[in-house]
Amino acid sequence: MKKAIGDNMISKEWGFGRGLELIKRAGYDGVELWLGDMPWFQMSTSDADVRELRRTVESAGLVVSNVSTGLHWGSPLSARDPAVRARAARIVERQIETAALLGTDAVLVVAGLVTEEVPYNEVYQRCVEALKPLGDTAKRAGVRIGCENCNAEQRFLMSPREFWQFLNDVNHPAVGIHLDVGNIHDNGFAEQWIEMHGPRITRIHVKDVLRHRGRCGDQSVYTNLLLGDNNWPAIRAALTKVGYDGWLVAEMEARYHYAPDQQFFDTAQALDRLITGRL
Amino acid sequence: MTISVTRRRFLECAAAAAVPMRWRLGGLPPPATARLDKVILDLGVNCSLRESVSGYAAVLGAAALRTDMSSKQPPRVLIVPAAVELPPPVVGAITTCLDAGGLVILESGAGYASAVKVSRQRTVLRETFDVHVEPPVNLWPRSGESAIPYVDFTWPLRAKIRDFSRVVPLTGGAGEIIACVNGFGVGLKCRFRRGNLIVLGSPIGPALWAGDDQALQWLLAAC
Repeated sequence: MKKAIGDNMISKEWGFGRGLELIKRAGYDGVELWLGDMPWFQMSTSDADVRELRRTVESAGLVVSNVSTGLHWGSPLSARDPAVRARAARIVERQIETAALLGTDAVLVVAGLVTEEVPYNEVYQRCVEALKPLGDTAKRAGVRIGCENCNAEQRFLMSPREFWQFLNDVNHPAVGIHLDVGNIHDNGFAEQWIEMHGPRITRIHVKDVLRHRGRCGDQSVYTNLLLGDNNWPAIRAALTKVGYDGWLVAEMEARYHYAPDQQFFDTAQALDRLITGRL
Repeated sequence: MTISVTRRRFLECAAAAAVPMRWRLGGLPPPATARLDKVILDLGVNCSLRESVSGYAAVLGAAALRTDMSSKQPPRVLIVPAAVELPPPVVGAITTCLDAGGLVILESGAGYASAVKVSRQRTVLRETFDVHVEPPVNLWPRSGESAIPYVDFTWPLRAKIRDFSRVVPLTGGAGEIIACVNGFGVGLKCRFRRGNLIVLGSPIGPALWAGDDQALQWLLAAC
């Protein structure tokens, strides 16, 4: 397995180049690029500038692990307004285009967002319908779409079997799951998700979770690797069982208050322990 | 054992049973001279919510879909989903159906259209059918604010059907309000010439598409 971390961990003051140097020094193999999150990678970034990003990444001795985005929280594929849905689809298309330019084969999509206003059944139907043609686009580009399990935030596809049925309904070889082992909270167990989805897993986001906090308090439910309630030996065993040998992408939502560069090193070392099974 | 079934439903089933199996399985279409029963008129670019068309088609079957009514006999029921602009041929199809004593369900998609198109729709509905359409209202004004997300239908049966975020309030001279949400009348039934016109200011096609049982019951009862 290979290690990556998101470019959204890079302080804007450091800039992209210095951030990549730190990521390389900390021992990562790659970097996850977040479309729309950082000034160097926006929807308006031209193809030429995306190619330049790739050169910068490769010059630092890294590769791009995948293309993610947080833009779907504001423009979900499940929106009622057709204009918003068109914008959401365009975001996914741009992710696919840039993934191909950046030399990676996976994108992360937050598929749907259930709200008081937009109910579950509508969200489900819209996402299934939207992902079929986007899957065709991805397949043509040699890319896979990974729908992330943002269980608590999306209020959507809360259980592994539900997610499995959803992917069955989408029924497209280029559409799978970008599994976040920290997002399951107290609704289940990451190792069971890994076992159930196996070959459909496009990438894995790695973070730890404090189950007892839930989502309603004012403290983050997330914490650093090996400090929370995830059963890491079980997760490691499940990865072995399904033969996952892809990217582990650190997504650290709780940030160090001081010495932020230290978090890159500590996280990389924790990932090493997970990969080598020294738990 | 007794089975509860309305006379209308019985006649529909009996009529369907009389249709040759090859037609029911999507084979040969009915003869061109036969009067169509229910038609969904897909307005194409003048429909603002494609999923509304899909919703009605899911209930009535894809065979009920038409994109052009110019050479057809008026159907008994004509449904126009999520309409934005109503070009003269569409108005002609609606009035022809009503002239023949039919039922028209005209669903406004103005909540998801530009101000210019909304204005044109308002003009056509007012001048042709004496139906007054107010500008769209957003039922969910602020994120995080709670609301009761149901439109209450009172005719032909009581039903609660999910709102679709934006509605166009309706009023009409001789019409009867048959659906309300947040104090707005969003469903109107009126006689027009020999037929009945139902105008919906809150689309129900998306609810049909999402499998809402009360939306299904309402549609079956209405037509």
